[in-house]
Amino acid sequence: MNEFIEQFLVECRELVEQGTGDLLALEERPADRERLDSAFRAFHTLKGAAGIIEFQAMAEALHGAEDVLSSARSGLAAITPALISDCLTCLDQVVQWLDVIEATGEPPADAGPAAAALVARFGRAPAPSVPVEATEAAPAMEDADLDAASIDLLTAQLALLADGSAEPSPGRTGSALQVAANVLASAGRAGEAQRLTQLLVQPGALRDPEAAAAALRSLLAGPLALAEGPAAAPRETGDVARGLRVDIERIDALVNLTGELTVAKNALAHVAALAREGAEPAAVAAILKDQHAVLDRLVGELQRSVLNIRVLPLRQVFQRFPRLIREMVVSLGKPARLVTEGEATEADKAIVEALFEPLLHVIRNALDHGVETAAARSAAGKPPSATIRLSSHRDGEHVIVEVADDGAGVDVARVRQVAERRGVADAETLAAMSDAEAVELIFAPGFSTAETVTSVSGRGVGMDAVRSAVERLSGRVEIESRPGEGTTVRFVLPFTVMMSRVMTVEAGGQLFGIPMDSIVETVRIGRDRIVGVGAAEAFVLRDRTIPLIDLAAALGHAGTAARSGEANVVIATAAGQVGGLEVDRLGERMDVMLKPMEGLLAGTPCVAGATLLGDGRVLVVLDLQALLQ
Amino acid sequence: MAYRILIVDDSKLARMAVAKAMNNLRPDWTRVEAGDAAEALALVRQQEIDVALLDFNMPGRDGLGLAGDLRALRPDMPLAVISANVQHEIVTRAQEIGAQFLPKPLTEQALAAFLQDAEQRIGAAGE
Repeated sequence: MNEFIEQFLVECRELVEQGTGDLLALEERPADRERLDSAFRAFHTLKGAAGIIEFQAMAEALHGAEDVLSSARSGLAAITPALISDCLTCLDQVVQWLDVIEATGEPPADAGPAAAALVARFGRAPAPSVPVEATEAAPAMEDADLDAASIDLLTAQLALLADGSAEPSPGRTGSALQVAANVLASAGRAGEAQRLTQLLVQPGALRDPEAAAAALRSLLAGPLALAEGPAAAPRETGDVARGLRVDIERIDALVNLTGELTVAKNALAHVAALAREGAEPAAVAAILKDQHAVLDRLVGELQRSVLNIRVLPLRQVFQRFPRLIREMVVSLGKPARLVTEGEATEADKAIVEALFEPLLHVIRNALDHGVETAAARSAAGKPPSATIRLSSHRDGEHVIVEVADDGAGVDVARVRQVAERRGVADAETLAAMSDAEAVELIFAPGFSTAETVTSVSGRGVGMDAVRSAVERLSGRVEIESRPGEGTTVRFVLPFTVMMSRVMTVEAGGQLFGIPMDSIVETVRIGRDRIVGVGAAEAFVLRDRTIPLIDLAAALGHAGTAARSGEANVVIATAAGQVGGLEVDRLGERMDVMLKPMEGLLAGTPCVAGATLLGDGRVLVVLDLQALLQ
Repeated sequence: MAYRILIVDDSKLARMAVAKAMNNLRPDWTRVEAGDAAEALALVRQQEIDVALLDFNMPGRDGLGLAGDLRALRPDMPLAVISANVQHEIVTRAQEIGAQFLPKPLTEQALAAFLQDAEQRIGAAGE
């Protein structure tokens, strides 16, 4: 990606944010001249930026919006909700284009129709005349499952098969079909791959490249094209960005580290020479120790620098909410405004990209259940319009993201009632719970306090989905309810998903890692305290019954011989479940760079990932959420 | 003769685009950049600037306002105001101040013509 595109993306994202903020403020106070000027400037500068990278479609769309805002500035047009909506829609479209540019490094070539639709919307031009392109050339194959490289490969095979100028050759036809089948199979489209391989074995088929081309073309135009779904639907999951924009300083830091590591390496060569020349072992040991300390520092810095490359500002996810809140407000009829803070806080790319769904859910929930109707708010002496505060900040190795509303707080009495009715907890347990504990029940699977299921918070996906989404990111969710004053839902997330603190344990003769953030404590339990519960075992610790899981057995290792003495138990918690894992031995704590399991081991149950230990052994790190279920 | 040119635009991308064009047209000139009018005025007071390119649309004081200020400070400095909106009013006001109007996005051709004119004027003033 060249530096112009990089700067373009940075500037445009800021301008979209500025424009969105101004438009939403204008909706509240249409007479706010400063906001109108600022919104106009944002659209104007966006247009200019599009012109600089020669993205004509975007420039035209923005020109439409700019004209409308310009008329509003000169008093020729009124600032109506429709005008604001149109301008926001335009910014939405810009964000989608920016995502594409971020992923591909260049402006999308097919932006014309979308831009023309926007221009038409702003009433500048007659209805767009979308040129109907010859469909023969390249079938539309934008599919979420097929990446650009696969599509290129498939198109190339089709071109090879359809090339009438060359002599038909069975070998070429066969290999083109095989390549296409392989591409499809590796994209997880086994059925379609099979249809092509069947052609391969059909007698005479290889002598007929036209038939093979037709088969591939029909696949590309048919099932593959169908799988793409509504093309213009906004992608809410935001898994677009494959590329990553990296500040030049961060690259420089890596370059510097490389230099320092080279120096450290050379120093080691010097030590090796000393040892070879028969230097005093104690002296060599002392130098080695110093060198190790240097390497230790450098590797630590290298890890941090590499992880820093993967960070993105939370702005990327925050900036999608003002628009969505506005829509929710309209559909719920409860006035509310969104305030965002700390958009510049950075977090690992994987986390930033996975935060949208859980945040959306929490915000919907806040508007739907937390915020009172305007009448109820006035009666309670609050401003009729509610405030939802979406904020984030860095706290040591954690990134905190909060959604706070100034609504009524969680109705604890109702939570208790519903929890009992739905069997989330029994009356006795509920009675023993403090209010703070009871509030946490809203995260329990199958809990939903909505009297009526509304279109906004929907049915079936409760706050438990939010909790598991956050826990998948190695984070945790906290909730704080202030009766009559509001609710705060807090995500405590790791700054990076790759670095994990684990404790090693030995079970069934093998070493495993358990994520430290899931470990509550380690205890030794006398055999006599372990009781059978059906086929399982459990023990009581401080008046709480905790199921005991034999780690080796749970992971399918040969059952350990009859155990004697006290049991070493790691008490762990994940997704609200608590369990005790019996292990043979407790090991040490360490920071590891966790790699997801790949290849044959991908999808192994109860395994979160693996890392390589100093002695070359592989440490398998357990997925406690799966293990405790 | 190599001169010092001031490029004022709140968009860094736009400044980059002008810088690229300058690199093609007058690689030996020194470029000085400012993100707004206040920064630009401070620069002009500090150092010897020969030519200035001003974006019209900026937060705070706009390009025409800045052109007026610069004209007061440096009556002979060649100035250009750049805007994407070719509005009669802006063009006229630019001319009144004695600044050339250049449409945005700035083409190398338009910039080249302005630079040539500017060089002649500086040369004439120096004689």
